[in-house]
Amino acid sequence: MRRLKAVLGYTGAVLTSVAMLVMPFVLFPLFTHGVAATGVQVDPVYGGGRTARIIARDGYRIVVNQPVRSRALLARPAPFVQLAWEPAAALPAHVADAVDLDGDGRADLIARFDVPADTTAALFVDVAPADAALRPLRHVSRDSFSSLIARVGDRIVVRVPLAR
Amino acid sequence: MSGTITPDAPAREAAGRPTGRSLLLTVPIALWGMLMFSRSLQVPGAAPKVAALLTFLFMTGLFFLMMRTKETHRWRRVFFVTLGFLFPVGFIWDLIALRGSMSIPIERMIGGDTPFCFLAIPMMIVPAAFTRTLIFPGSILPTASNPHAVATMVALWLSATLVLGKGWCAYGCFFGGIEEGFASLPKKPRIRQVDPRWRWLPWAMLAAIVLLSAASFDAVYCMWLCPFKAVTEFPEVRSAQTAVQFAVFGSLFAGLVVVLPFLTRLRTQCAFFCPFGPFQALSNRLSVFDVRIDRTRCTDCVTCRRACPTLVLDEGAVRRGRAGMSCMKCGACVDACTKDAVRWHIKGTALSASSETARLLYLFPAWAFATLFGGSIIAGTLAKLLQWLH
Repeated sequence: MRRLKAVLGYTGAVLTSVAMLVMPFVLFPLFTHGVAATGVQVDPVYGGGRTARIIARDGYRIVVNQPVRSRALLARPAPFVQLAWEPAAALPAHVADAVDLDGDGRADLIARFDVPADTTAALFVDVAPADAALRPLRHVSRDSFSSLIARVGDRIVVRVPLAR
Repeated sequence: MSGTITPDAPAREAAGRPTGRSLLLTVPIALWGMLMFSRSLQVPGAAPKVAALLTFLFMTGLFFLMMRTKETHRWRRVFFVTLGFLFPVGFIWDLIALRGSMSIPIERMIGGDTPFCFLAIPMMIVPAAFTRTLIFPGSILPTASNPHAVATMVALWLSATLVLGKGWCAYGCFFGGIEEGFASLPKKPRIRQVDPRWRWLPWAMLAAIVLLSAASFDAVYCMWLCPFKAVTEFPEVRSAQTAVQFAVFGSLFAGLVVVLPFLTRLRTQCAFFCPFGPFQALSNRLSVFDVRIDRTRCTDCVTCRRACPTLVLDEGAVRRGRAGMSCMKCGACVDACTKDAVRWHIKGTALSASSETARLLYLFPAWAFATLFGGSIIAGTLAKLLQWLH
């Protein structure tokens, strides 16, 4: 029994070296794809949620996401809905769009913001809701994950807080 | 290295390995290094090639010295401290080049551009298990703007864990290298007595951050407590909350990573604070390698206990004849023991089995990992510095 245990121990030790040798070629890609295959997603509080509908405009489009509600029990951030104007390069210098979030034919909010030519310049947004479920934004820049306007790549993302 | 043997020098130093045999044992690591660093030959410019060559010589040379002297800790520490100090240089360099600042703005967070750090893994597990969501503002797979994606880093950690167990903390964790550097500056500790009960604090920290992260759906340690945010990246200071976060990161770094290691010669952040350490310690159960104490040779001189940088080797561990579960296999205690009582060991084998064989069987994969992971970080930063100097 002691001999068998010793053989198993040395076998394990040699297998450790084998595992190391194949790590960059086999283990690492295998684990990377394995993690991706689990289907886990980045928390929508960061990612902004799934796309609900896309509204075409003249030369650009508005991507409306599904509302995001945090699943946190503590320090829960306000729920929000994310809208993205893209491509940012095609936007006029001043945007004032009435947006129908749920596709019922009625505008739920009006968003207004300037699009400076300098892509590093601070952005500010005003949102006037026509729906009681939404909260207004006045000259908001990047206040929180629930209330912001930010340039993300070639998109301008606006997050409008929802009433809790 | 001079070959002078002092009367209390360890027996293994007296029996230092002949140069020819040491070179022969270094050949596999040299070949591995060539394979790993040959990728740099495809990168345009001289700097990456010179950096790869220097790093190859550095890693292979240190391994040769490990073989020649039969000492582990001294040479591992040279690599580990180099890694610890070059990692933040390269990381901050990239951040400044990418966005002109170490702070990460909210638009980068929602764009999934936050590099994922292995320290966040324990906090991710419970929310991911119940909701299939990751409470981290990164991306799942690598993108052009974020090569350090969640899947990449988790795969790296899983692979390293399989090979090293808790050895990750001695051969992979670049953060540990910073405090090991400060801990190795003084010759003697200014504070000699540290209550070993403090070493249970990381377990409490682990439990607390796992529960709090699950309840708040936020990576609590990363957002509030990680000392290494001070030398990597941190949320943009735009409010009182982010100012407090920044102050906490800076204070913890100064206290736990710089001042206390200098005063105690211990890796205080690892020993008393880091929640990843106990999480990783669980993987030591998988590893076939451990450190044992031969009670028939031990004279209870406590040299090994003084040498342990994380207080894992305490009175109870020595009495039981085995290092605690949190042993990171740095080799400090084995090297310090003058009686060869503290020994590298392979589970299942007799304690009288060759400690050197167990050491070699552990060191080959450990150093291969160090070359692959730490070596690439060192070479990358060296290339940037060489390019800048040029």
